[in-house]
This record gives sequence, structure tokens and C-alpha cells, in this order.
Amino acid sequence: MSDSDHISRIESARNKFREALSEVRTSSEFQELRNSWLGRKNGRIAEYTALLKTAAPEIKKELGRSINELKRIVEDALAEREAEFAKSARPANAIDITLPGRVPQLGYRHPLSLIRDEVIEIFTRLGYQVLEGPEIEDDYHNFEALNMPADHPARDMHDTLYLEKPIKSAGRPLTLLRTHTSAMQIRHMENNPPPVRLVAIGPVYRRDNLDLTHTPMFHQVEGLVVGKGITLADLKGTVSAMARELFGSAEVRFRPSFFPYTEPSAEVDIRCFKCAGAGCALCKKSGWIEILGSGMVHPAVFEAVGYNPDEVTGFAFGMGVERVAQLKWGVGDIRLFYENDLRFLEQFGI
Amino acid sequence: MKAPLSWIREFVDVKASAEEIGALMGLRGLPLESLETHGDDVVMDFEVTANRPDCMSVIGIAREIATAYKLPLAAGGTKVPPLQPNGNVPITIEEPELCCRYVGAVADVTIGPSPKWMQDRLAMCGVRPISNIVDITNYVMLELGQPMHAFDLAKMRQGKIVVRRAKAGESMTTLDGKKRTLSGDMLVIADAECAEDIGGVMGGASSEISSATKRVAFEAAYFAPSQIRSTSKKLGLKTEASSRFERGADRTAPPRAMARALQLLEQIGAGSFTGDATDNYPTPYQPRTTHLDRARIRGLLGMDVPDESVTRILSSLDFDPEMTSTGWIVTAPPWRVDMHRQVDLIEEVGRHHGFEHLPATFPGVEQAPPPSDPRIARDRRARTALLGIGFSEAISFAFIASKAAEPFLDGQGPVAIANPLSELFTTMRPSLLSGVIDAVSHNRRHGRPDVRLFEIGTRFSPDGETRGAGFAWTGLATPDHWSGARRAVDFYDVKGVVDQLAAEYQVTPSFSETKKSYLVEGRTAAIVVNGKTIGVFGQLAPAIAAARDLPATDEIYAGEIDLDALSAAAPAETLRAAALPKYPSVVRDVSILVADTLSAETVRGTIRSAAPETLIQIREFDRYQGKGIPDGKVSVSFRLTFQSPDRTLTDDEVQAAMQRIMDALTDNLQAVQR
Repeated sequence: MSDSDHISRIESARNKFREALSEVRTSSEFQELRNSWLGRKNGRIAEYTALLKTAAPEIKKELGRSINELKRIVEDALAEREAEFAKSARPANAIDITLPGRVPQLGYRHPLSLIRDEVIEIFTRLGYQVLEGPEIEDDYHNFEALNMPADHPARDMHDTLYLEKPIKSAGRPLTLLRTHTSAMQIRHMENNPPPVRLVAIGPVYRRDNLDLTHTPMFHQVEGLVVGKGITLADLKGTVSAMARELFGSAEVRFRPSFFPYTEPSAEVDIRCFKCAGAGCALCKKSGWIEILGSGMVHPAVFEAVGYNPDEVTGFAFGMGVERVAQLKWGVGDIRLFYENDLRFLEQFGI
Repeated sequence: MKAPLSWIREFVDVKASAEEIGALMGLRGLPLESLETHGDDVVMDFEVTANRPDCMSVIGIAREIATAYKLPLAAGGTKVPPLQPNGNVPITIEEPELCCRYVGAVADVTIGPSPKWMQDRLAMCGVRPISNIVDITNYVMLELGQPMHAFDLAKMRQGKIVVRRAKAGESMTTLDGKKRTLSGDMLVIADAECAEDIGGVMGGASSEISSATKRVAFEAAYFAPSQIRSTSKKLGLKTEASSRFERGADRTAPPRAMARALQLLEQIGAGSFTGDATDNYPTPYQPRTTHLDRARIRGLLGMDVPDESVTRILSSLDFDPEMTSTGWIVTAPPWRVDMHRQVDLIEEVGRHHGFEHLPATFPGVEQAPPPSDPRIARDRRARTALLGIGFSEAISFAFIASKAAEPFLDGQGPVAIANPLSELFTTMRPSLLSGVIDAVSHNRRHGRPDVRLFEIGTRFSPDGETRGAGFAWTGLATPDHWSGARRAVDFYDVKGVVDQLAAEYQVTPSFSETKKSYLVEGRTAAIVVNGKTIGVFGQLAPAIAAARDLPATDEIYAGEIDLDALSAAAPAETLRAAALPKYPSVVRDVSILVADTLSAETVRGTIRSAAPETLIQIREFDRYQGKGIPDGKVSVSFRLTFQSPDRTLTDDEVQAAMQRIMDALTDNLQAVQR
């Protein structure tokens, strides 16, 4: 082999190395490549260096330079590649972070409880006090003081559940399950002078059979504001504010109605929040959804609690918590609220 | 109230369609329930509220529509010459309080079907056509709202009409063919001897109009609402007539109705009036006037209604408003039995002026709101704690089956419902556990092996209401995980729940063994605070679980705590922050062998009584029985923490304390140090 062959061989070795390096994928292939080029005994660079001993003196210098240059190129490229490997390598104590974690279990809120708290929060912010009251009531607080004397036809609207034996109390014997939270209005006004600004919230009972929209027990929110100069327009402003918070719909409509304990009385609709009034299945094509019954407190109610109806006026409204939840979350069957099926409860967030 | 549009249009010339009328009337207090087409006509079914018996008539509905559309109300077919009673019909009213007016008129008749137009109108209103005479009475009732009746005069002994109370035990067969026994508080229309009609409710079969009837006595009367209501309720008999009378009829209507009936009689050729008519009217109607204060309208509604509108609306509704300097003196028409006070007039003005004109204002706050019911915040703390421990919230019916209530009655009687909807809802729950266990069962039967549920609610006893939290846990305490940490729930998990819940109120309860029929004996603990039991928990008795269709292999741990009592035990003083300890603590472990019958509480108590005040914590951190431990013994390891607030404890003094503790354990409990 001639000396000039040596030089061209080293030059082609440079290309061979580059090619081999580009094919390296794993770190063991890398080690293999390093050994085959830089190995002290059998490495190619060592092989070429051995050629120097036998090379003609005139080319020794040039050949030596070529070998050194090749060695430098190989070393630099390998170092660079090694750094890359080091960057992507996983330490020995690495774990599989794609395995599922241990999720601490938190319970889920009942949807009725979520609505209840939302309502409490809204009215607390509006300066109301929030009250609860007894679920077993006497006839006086549930009916009579609310302008529904015995034999009043409006009692038909409240199919009442009675106790077999009255429960003794400091006041009148408790004989029935309250049919509305309005009983709380009376209890509060009897013991507190005006002004009044309260919401009463809790379960109420009616002798209604179970179906898609009725349960014999349901929850009510009752609002009562009494003071000088309280008007029906104030009621409209208040329920608009509530509707905006609960449903995002602030447009309300009052329809005259009848309740014995309010005069005038009105049923309140909100603009359908699903179709914005265009008419859909939720609002039964009417563009409006009925959400509550309300009115101006009847003077007979004020008289029953010792308020002077010439001095104060007031508004009251009552709303079903289940109905709000049904509307808000599209719950077709009210009975789902009382089955406590976790597959249902877990849909409402923690 | 169903009314054909053609009939309505006899009284008001309204051009709007039935749909348009329905939409507007909904905003004026007379909502439309449904519309039904009948040939060329449309039947409008209006929802009439309990206070408006006057709208249970076509003319009443037409009056509302006329007012809403600012149109005049026409008399239509009701424009007939007034009745001229000659007093020849023998009518005696023995109970003027219950029947304050009775108009009777006698006519000769030929029984047959009524004309088609009359039959059609009755049918459209949901009333079955029967015969010309009966149809006339029903037609007048639908048109004017005044119920009427017709007796076969030949069947009325001595031709007499007596309004009296039923005799005790008196019975009669009503038009529906049922024999009814009457009581002395009911009002009847009788002939000289027998009851022939339950006044204002239903007529009797014996004096019923038949094809052979030749002469009839028409009745148009006024009956007291409460009388009709109680009779109708007692007999379980609701009729078109009773539903009008019980809400309050118009005392001035009977002669008008009678005149209209007699006019129809001639018009359809069913017979002729004999001229004999009596109007027995012991207490004539006194018109009621109310002062309507102009300022009060705005004061109550919060919107201005112009004077002209007030006058127009009231006049259109047949009120008589007489303007004064401050407002109006208003006479209500006699059929407006719902008019008692000024607010009633304001409602009339408001609803026909239109609630759509109400501005939305906001009531000012006059004073800081008084505090809310403390139970709201208190229950929220319990709820938050239980949610944080992984329990989901349940809400169940407060009434349960009497059998389900039994195990929880605790020696007290049940709070039973007199008129339950079904046998599933007979008893007010004495405990929340019944509902919670049902909820667990529901979830178990729907493929959920691991269930944690709680409910916060009211419990009922003959002493009244208390608020509690009930909870149940079944399945895994630590869920399935690839790392293999799975563990089933046990007694100590729920004990931890109770501790955590009590800690929420800064209460440290103690626990004592107790027995409950619904919990497994030996695995039941009473929760004791200040010497008072405020709750109980343990493993649910298999019999209870089985009764609720829970799988027999399930272990369910459940408990209930009285939130009223728990929060009452919370320290009253305001929470104060304690300074952090300045001096280090010293920890010592001790392992002993003791008899396995000794309770952990006893060992802990022995340690505590022998230890100085500087012992601040005792923790059992290991408990072992088995290989290397003699039978009947258990190895227990305690970690004791010593700390002083005012100095660093020396090794010597801790060592001395440990020695005293070990001596006490050895002497008192025959413990052996390991």
C-alpha cells in the first residue's frame, strides 16, 4: 500500500465515522462506536497511528497531521453526542409518572344543598337574615294567622299531613307538618318588631303523590321584607336580582294570582334562560318559566302578628328549591333528588 | 271554567283570537289553561282562583275580558224583564243564617230534549245535556254563575218548599243514585215531610224531573259558603253547584237567574211560567263601600296609575267609584265576594293597569340584618367536615315506614302521621340512619361496592325536633390502587370520623360500650360528652341490613350524632391562640405485654395517672398478638411525648417519669416490659 493511499484512507474514514455516528440510537451502540474508533488497542485511530511507524518520512508529517485531525473530529463529535445522551437519560431512581395517583376521596354535595347555599349566599349579600324553623307546626301558624281560617277554600291548595297525636309545646299543640315555610314569617314577626328582612328555608310537606314534578316532601325558600314604604316594585327588583344570580336571567314577569296571605298576589316568571324567550321544550314554547309565588303581605297577616298595616307594608315570596334545581340542571324527574344515587350526586361537583 | 268563545262574544265584542285573549288574560289574573276547537267554535278553559267565584260564569269571564280590552260589556241574552214575584209559592226558610234567599217559581212544562244550540254549549262547557228543563238550569248557572234546581212539583208533598236542617238519621237518594244518610248539621230542601234536595249540593231522586213531569218548581237560592263546604266535605260530594256556593255566590243574583230561566223556558218552547213566584229574602244584601286612597295605590304598588285609569278599571268591573279629594269611595258589585279592604281594590287597579308597568326598584336597608339562625353555620361545619372525609351528602324523606322506625324509637312512642300517603310514609323518622341505610342499600344494589353517605336533618320524637348527622360507610376504607394498599372499612374508621366531627366543634368525646338493637353487640360505642350520650356508632346489625336488601356479606359501619348537643358542648369562649412551645419535647417509646382483656383506655389511664404533667401525649402505635406472644396477652407499644412550657426537660427527669409509669403498669396491670 502506498503512502498516499494512507492519506486518502484517513480522509474517507472521516466520512465513514460521520455515517456510523448518525446511525447510533442507543447508548450501547454509542459505546460500541466509541470503542471501535478510540479503543487503545483495536480502535481505528490506534490502527492509523501505528501506520506512522512504517510510513515514508516525507509523508510522515502530513499523515500525522491527518490522523490528529481525524482524532480531534471523532473526539469532539462523540463528546457532543454523549452530552446529548446525558441530557435525555433517566436517572436510576426514575419512576413511571404515568401510573394513576392516589386520589384522596372527597364527598359530593347534594344538589339541593348546593342550591340552598347559593340562595343563602345571595340573600345574605342583600342584607337578609336567614332563618330555619320547626317542621311540625300548629294550625295557627301554618294557616290561621296567614289569613286561612278553618274552612277557607284556599286550604284545598295545601293538602296537609296531620299527626296522629299532637306534640305538646310551650305554645299551641303541634298538629301538622308545615305545608310552607310561610309559617316562619308569623313566628318571626310575632317576636320581632319591623323592619324585617328575612329568608326562611327548609323542608315542607304536602300530601302529594310522587310523580315527575311532585314529592310529598320538598324544600322551600321564603322571603319576607317588611318596613315603611315597601312596594310591589321592590319585590320585582328583588326577584330580578335573585333570578339573575340563580339563572343568569334578569327579565321577570308578574302575573296576577291569588294567595290568601298576600294582596296583591303574583306568580313570577323569568325569561327562559335556555332559549332567551324564543320558545323551547323547557319553557313549553312560552318563552317564560314560572319560578315563584309572591305578593304584598295581606293586612290580616300584619294584624295577626300585631303589626299596624297602616304603618308598614311588606312583600313575601316562596320558591321551591327542587324546582330551581330541576330547571337549572335539567333534572327531569324530581324523585332523583331523594334516591341519593351516587351516580347522580357525583354529577354536581364537590 | 270552560267557556265557548261564541258565548263570551255575546257579552263582549272582542275581535282578538282565542290565543291572543288567553295570552293577555294570563297577565290580568285569569290564565288560560287550554284551548279546544269545537267545529267553528273554540272552548277556552280558564283557571279561576279560589277567590273569584264570579268568574265561574261566562258573564264573569266576559267582564274581565271587556276590562282588559277596554270594551263595553253587553247584557246579551240576559237582558230580560225582571221577575215579578206574587208570593204564591209556599217557601219557608227555617235557617235564614244558612240560606238567606230562596226564589221559587212554578212553570208548566213539556219534557223533551233541549235545542241543539243549547245542548252544544252545555257539552262544550263539560255539562251533559239531560232534558230541556234540567238543561235550562245548567245553562243559567254557566251563563250567570247562579246554580239552579228544578223539582217535579207533583212529587213535592203539599207543594211545599221548606229550607231546614236535616233530621238526625234522615236519609235520601241523591241524583247520582246514591242513598245518603244525613246529619243534623246539613241543610236540606224538603217538602212537607221529606228531604228532597241537599241544599246547594245535589238534588234528590224522588223529585227528579222525569218524562212524566208536567209542572216544576224552579229554585234559585243563596247558601252560606261554610255550610256548603262542610256538607260537601262530609259527603265527599263536589258538584258544579257546591263549588260555586262554597266560594260565595251573589245574593242579588237569584231573581235575575230566575227571570232568565223563565225567559229561556218560553224561548225554547219547553213550557210557560204560571205567574206564581216567591222571593223569600230575610236579610237583604247591604252594598259594601271602601275608601280607596290615591296615595296608597302608589305606596303599595310602587307605580303610578293615572286617576282616569283607576276610574275606568273599577267602573268596567262594575264597581261604583265616587271620586273624593284624596281618592275614591268605591262600592263593590255584590258578586265580588273577595272585596273586603282597600288592598283588594288596589289589586284590581294594579292587575288591570298591568303589572308589566311595574318598575324594578330595590328596598333600602334600614338596619344591619340581625344574625341568621346559628344552625345554618353550625350544620355547614359538620357538612364540610364529612365531605372532607369522603362522605357524600344524602337527603331523604322525613317520613318512613313504621317498621323502619321501630328499631330507632329508643323506648319512646313514634310520631305517627294520621293521614299518610302510603304505608311507606307513616312515621316521622326518629333517626337519620333509616334514610342513610336505604341510600346505602340503593347504591349497593346499583353496582357500588364502596359507599360513604351522610345526612344532616331533623329527627322527630314526642318531645319535639332535634337536628342530627347520620352516616354510614361500607366497602373499602382505602380504595383499590396498583400499589396494593386496599383495606376494608372497620370500626376504627368510623370512630375516627366521630373524632374528626367532634374536633370541628373543639369537643373531645369519650366512648363507652353500649347496646343498640340496630348495631352489633360488642361493636357499638356511645359518644359521650360531659357525661351525656350525644350519639352512637358501630357495626350495623345484619338483621337491619337484610331488611333493607343489603347483601349479607356487607359489613356496614354507621352512626349518628346529635348536632344540637354537640354544638352546645363546644367551648363558649372565643378561641385564643396559644404561643408555640419554646422548649423541645422528648419522645420515649415503651412496649409492654398485658392481658388482652384490658381496654386501651385502662392502660392509657394508668400511664396518665402515674405520669407528671409534662406528659403531653400518649399514642398507641403498635399492637400485636400472635407468634411469640403468650395466649391471652397482647403486646402494646406506646409513644409518650414529654414537654414543659417553661424549661428544657433533662434526661434524668424523663427517665424518672418513665420509671414511675413502668412501675405503675407493672404494679396495677401486671404488665411486663418487652
